[in-house]
Amino acid sequence: MQVLDRTKIIQEISDLKKTYGDDRSALLPILQDLQETYGYLPDLVMQETAHALEIHPVEVEGVASFYSFFRRKEKQGKYVLRLCQTISCDLAGKVNVARQLENELGIKFGETTKDGMFTLEYTNCLGMCDQGPAMLVNDRLFAKVTPDKVPYIIVDCRRDFLKSDFPKIVPSDVRKSGPILSHDLKPGEGLKAALNHTRAEVIGIIRESGLRGRGGAGFPTAVKWQLAGAAQSDKKYVVCNADEGEPGTFKDRYLLFHHTDMILDGMTIAAYAIGAKKGFFYLRGEYLYLKKYMLEALEIRRKNNLLGKDIAGKKGFDFDIEVRMGAGAYVCGEETALIESLEGYRGEPRNRPPFPVDTGFQKNPTIVNNVETFLDATLICVKGAKWFNEHGTEKSKGTKIFSISGDCEQPGIYELPFGITIAQLLKEVKGENAKAVQIGGASGKCVARKDFNRTIAFEDISSGGSIIVFGPSVDMLKVAINFMEFFVEESCGQCTPCRDGNVKLLEGLKLLEKGRCSVTYLNELMRLAETIQLASKCGLGQSSPNAFLSILENFKSEILGRVPEKA
Amino acid sequence: MEDKEKVMTESTVRAPKSTTPSTIKTPENAGAIGATIKVTIDGKEVRVPMGTTILNAARMLGIKIPTLCNHDDLCISGVCRICVVEVEGMRTLQASCAYPISQPIVVHTHTRKVRQARRHIIDLLLSRHYGECYSCVRNNNCELQSLANEYGVDFYRFGHVDKPTYGRDNSSYAIVRDMDKCIMCRRCIRTCIDLQEVGVYEAVERGNKTRIGTFMDNPMAQLICINCGQCINRCPTGALHANDPSDAIWAAIDDPTKHVVIQTAPAPRSAIGECFGLPAGTPLTFEMNTAMRYCGFDKVFDTNFSADLTIMEEGTELILRLYKALVKKEPVALPLFTSCSPGWVKYIEHFYPEMLDHLSSAKSPQQMFGAVIKTYYAELNNIDPADIVTVALMPCTAKKFECNRPEMNSSGFKDIDYGLTTRELAGMFQETGIDLLNMPKSDFDDPFGTRTGSGVIFGATGGVMESAIRTVYELVTGERIDKLFEHARVIPVRGFEGVRYAELPIAKVGPVPDILKHLIPNWDWLKGATLKVAVAHGTANAKKVLDNIKSGGKLSECHFIEYMACPGGCLGGGGMPIPTNEEIRAARARAIYAEDEASEVRKSYENPAIARLYKEFLVDGPCGHKSHKLLHTHYLPRGKKLV
Repeated sequence: MQVLDRTKIIQEISDLKKTYGDDRSALLPILQDLQETYGYLPDLVMQETAHALEIHPVEVEGVASFYSFFRRKEKQGKYVLRLCQTISCDLAGKVNVARQLENELGIKFGETTKDGMFTLEYTNCLGMCDQGPAMLVNDRLFAKVTPDKVPYIIVDCRRDFLKSDFPKIVPSDVRKSGPILSHDLKPGEGLKAALNHTRAEVIGIIRESGLRGRGGAGFPTAVKWQLAGAAQSDKKYVVCNADEGEPGTFKDRYLLFHHTDMILDGMTIAAYAIGAKKGFFYLRGEYLYLKKYMLEALEIRRKNNLLGKDIAGKKGFDFDIEVRMGAGAYVCGEETALIESLEGYRGEPRNRPPFPVDTGFQKNPTIVNNVETFLDATLICVKGAKWFNEHGTEKSKGTKIFSISGDCEQPGIYELPFGITIAQLLKEVKGENAKAVQIGGASGKCVARKDFNRTIAFEDISSGGSIIVFGPSVDMLKVAINFMEFFVEESCGQCTPCRDGNVKLLEGLKLLEKGRCSVTYLNELMRLAETIQLASKCGLGQSSPNAFLSILENFKSEILGRVPEKA
Repeated sequence: MEDKEKVMTESTVRAPKSTTPSTIKTPENAGAIGATIKVTIDGKEVRVPMGTTILNAARMLGIKIPTLCNHDDLCISGVCRICVVEVEGMRTLQASCAYPISQPIVVHTHTRKVRQARRHIIDLLLSRHYGECYSCVRNNNCELQSLANEYGVDFYRFGHVDKPTYGRDNSSYAIVRDMDKCIMCRRCIRTCIDLQEVGVYEAVERGNKTRIGTFMDNPMAQLICINCGQCINRCPTGALHANDPSDAIWAAIDDPTKHVVIQTAPAPRSAIGECFGLPAGTPLTFEMNTAMRYCGFDKVFDTNFSADLTIMEEGTELILRLYKALVKKEPVALPLFTSCSPGWVKYIEHFYPEMLDHLSSAKSPQQMFGAVIKTYYAELNNIDPADIVTVALMPCTAKKFECNRPEMNSSGFKDIDYGLTTRELAGMFQETGIDLLNMPKSDFDDPFGTRTGSGVIFGATGGVMESAIRTVYELVTGERIDKLFEHARVIPVRGFEGVRYAELPIAKVGPVPDILKHLIPNWDWLKGATLKVAVAHGTANAKKVLDNIKSGGKLSECHFIEYMACPGGCLGGGGMPIPTNEEIRAARARAIYAEDEASEVRKSYENPAIARLYKEFLVDGPCGHKSHKLLHTHYLPRGKKLV
C-alpha cells in the first residue's frame, strides 16, 4: 500500500483548482486527474478534495461512487480491461471472450491480478456495436475481439505496449451517405454563414427547416434556442451532449472524429443565437481516446479566430468551449442529469419543469443538444432550410444518421431519410430475415416482423439512431434480460419506480428463464412496467421498461413455459 | 432596542444543496395580471400564485395527496413518486410535490393510473423494507405503514426481504441507524446537508445498489455527526431512531438501593401530549410529574432550576469578559457564545475549532443539574452520590452524547447517567399503562421546585438570550426590564427567523448587586453602552453567523450570541415527537411562552432556589472556584478530519 502524504495531496488539489475552478463544478475533472495520479481515490484524497471545495466528504464519495469509472476501494491494475457487455457485443460472442480473459488472467470480473497489472471489468456500450465484441484497455479501444486474440492482447500489455506502436482500430464503415454526411464544408464556413444573419434570423432558419433534436426525444431545436435566447440572464450556456451511451449507437463517435469542426461550428452558431459565452462539450468517459483530438481541434479553432473573442470578426461575439469528460454513467445522456454532472453532482435527473432553457447549468439558461443536431444546424445555415427539409416526413424533417448493428450482413453507419419503413431499412443492411429489430436502443422498442411496415420517424417509432437487428436464432428472453440488467445498473437510483421496479422486472425475466413464472404474475409485472413508464422521474426511467414490454408482447409464446437448460 | 434586522446576505455564504431545488419564483406582487393561475383539481377550481406546486394547490382545496419524500422543512425532491397525479394533456404522471404550476391545468388525483402507480410504489418499497411492524419502534407512527394501510396492502405483491442486508448500527450514543428499513426518501440527506450543514449522509452507489451512505461507511460514532437527531424527526420509517436507555432506567428504578431522580427540560412538557394524540402545544407539565412518580422515579425535578443557574454563570461570564475587554483592555474572545445546546457545541468543535474560546465554559443546564444533585442534593439528603441515578428528560438526542462525555464528571461521578427523550418517556408511560391525560396534577420536588419562567423559555429559540437579557439588564441597571418590554417579553429575540439580531441600550446603571460585588467594583463602564446580541437556530444558520464573524461582518460586533442546533430551538429537538414542521414548532413555542407568563419567577436571579444554592453551597459566588469546578467545562478542538 502506498503511503499518502497529506500535504502533497492538498497541494495537488490546490493546483487542480487553479485549472478547473474552485467551485463544485470542478469536482469531476479534479477527481479524474487524482484518480489518474493515484490509480484510485483513497479516502484521504476524497476528504481533502471535499474540504478544498468546501463540501462534505460524503458528498464526494457520493459522486465518486455514482460514476463507474471512479474507484474508491482497491487500487486498480495498471491495465484495466473493460469488456462491453451490451447487447450487440453480447450477440457477437462476448461470453467466450470473457471466459477466455478469466482463464488467461486467473481472476474473475471485478478483480485485480495479484501483481497489480490487470483489472477485469464489464462496461456498458462502448459505441463499437458494429464491430463487437469491443474492449477498452485503459483508453485504448479493441474491436472484434475473439477468444484467440485474448492472450496476445495480454502479452502486449505485459510488454508495456503503450510505448509501442499499436495499430489504430478500424473506423466504422459508412455504408450509405446522404446530404448530411457527404457535405463539403470547410471549418468555420457554416459559422460565417450564420454570422451574416441576425440572431433572430438564425433561429428563424432553423425553425423553417423543421429540425428536431437528434437524441431521440425530437424536441424542436428552434423552440429550444428561442426559449433560451429570450431568457433574461447575463450567463447562458451551450452544451453538446456527446454522452452517446444508448446501446447500439456509435454514429456520434464517427461524427466527432470526421465532422468535428461542423459540430463545433454548430455549437458556436447556437451560442450566437442564444447569446451564450461559454460552451461545454460533455464527452462520455468511454471516449477518452477522443479527448486529445477534441482539444487539438479546439486549439486550432482558437488560432483561426473561430473561438475566443470577436469570433470571425464579429465584434462582441465571444465564445469558448470546454471539454468535460463523463465518467461512465448512461443516465448522464439525460440533459438535466448531464447538467448535474457538469455541476459536480451525482448524475441524477432534475424535476422538470423548470427546464434547462430557463434554469440550467448553475441555474442559468442552458441549451443541451445532441452532436448530430449541431451538425445539422451548421449545414442548414449554409445550405438553407429547403435543402434540409425536402427529405423526411411532414413531422420529421431531414435525414437521420443511424448506427446499425446485430444480425445483418452490412452493419455500420447509414444516413437515411425519416419515414423509411423497417422493411426498407432491413433491405439496405441486408438483414431481411430478421425476426425483430430493436429501434432506439435499450430504451427503445422491439419491433417484430408483423410490424416491419412501420416507419422510423418521431410520429411513429422514434430513434436516436440505434438499430439492432435480431436474427431468427436470437433468444428474445436473453435479449430482454440483457436490457433489464442494463437498466438495473444504469438507473440513477433516486426514484422508486425505476430503481426498484426494474429489479422486479429483471427478477421476473429470471423466473421466466427457469420456466417458473405464472401468467398472472407476468401480467402484474406488465402493469408494473406501465407504472414505471408513467411514474418515473425522468425520460430514462420512463423508457426503461419499453424493451421488456415490447419483447414480452411480441414473443410471449416463445418465452412462456420454457424448460430450463440443465445446469 | 432596535427591531429585528436583516444582517445576513446570502452571497457571503456557500449555498448548500443536496439536490437542486426546482421552484419557479412566485411573483412579488400576487395581484399583478398573470400572477395567479386557475387550477382545477378533481373538478374543484382554485386560483393560486404562479409557481405553487400542485400539492399545495390541492391542500388549499382540502384534497389529500399522499406524500413520502416531501417534507415541509426541506427542499423539493420528487424521488419517491407516491404523490403522482394525472395532469390533462401530459403523457406521464407528475409528482405533485415537485410540479410548479405555471399555466392553467386540470389535475386528477385518483384515476386508475394514479391508484395503480401508488399501489405499485408502496409494494416496491415494502419489497425491500426489512422487518415487521410489530417489532419496530415506529409502529403506529410510520408513514410507510400508514400508506400501506390507506392503499389496502394485504400481501407482499413483489415479495419481501427475509434477511437483513446491512444490520443495525447502534455505535452512537444518540442515533441508531437501521438501514434495512430505509426506503430512500432522502429526507435525512436533505436534513443533514441543507438544514444542518453537517453532511453525515449522502446517496452512494447507483442503480439498484443505491443506498444512503456515510463517509467510508463509518459507523455513526466515528463520524462528524453532532447527534442533533433532526434526521430522526424527519425519517418516515424506523430506519433512524434514538438510542433508547429506558431498559437501563427501568433496571435502576427496580433496584431498591438506587435513588433515581429525573429532571425534565422545558420543551418535552409542551409536546409529550402529541405522543398520546393531543394537538401540539398542549402543556402537560403537572400530569407528567405525577406519571413519572407513578413509574417509580424517586424525585422529579425541573431543569428550569439549572437553566436559571446557567444564566447566573453564563451571565456572569459575559459580564467578566466585557469587563476585561472594556476596562482592563485585556484580550478576550467576544462575542461570547452560549453552550447549552450539545449539538451546537459538537458542531463548533468539529467545524470551527479555532473559535472555541468564544464558547462559554458554563455547562449546559442538564449537566449543571447533575453536578448539583450529586453534590449539594446528596449532602443535603445524606445520600451517597454513588447510589444516585440521574436521568434527564430532554427534547434532545445530543444530550445522550453530552452526558457520556468523559469530562462531565467533576463531582467524581457522572453528572447525568441517562439522557431520555420525550418519545422514550412516552414509551415508558405506555408500558406502565398510565393514562397521562387523566393523571392528577402535581408539582416538582423541592428544593428546586420554584416555577420559573426564565428557565422554561430555554425551550424555544431565543429563550436563553431573553433570560440573559432579563437578568443582566436588571442586575446592571437596577431597573425592571418590564419598563422596556411589556410583561418582560423581549420580543426582538423571539421568532423563527434563522438569524436574529438585536441591540439593547444601557442608558443608566445601578449599584452592583451583592452577588457580584467581589468581581466588579461598579457598572460605570457600561453606562451608555449598547449591548449587541444575536440568536441563531439550526446549525446551517449558525454557520452563517460564524462565517459572518470570521469575515468581520456586522455580527462580529456582537457581545453575546445564542446558538441552538435544532430549528426552533429545543422544542424542535431530535428527541421530540414525530412529525415536526414549523406549525407544530410554533404551537409548542406558544405553550412554552404561556408557561413563562404564568410563572411566579421570571428572572433567573430572583429564583429563591438559586439564591439558596449560592448562599449554602456555591459560597464563592457565580464563576467562583467551586462553581468553576462543578459547573464549568472545557471543549475539544475535534476538527473535521476523519482520515
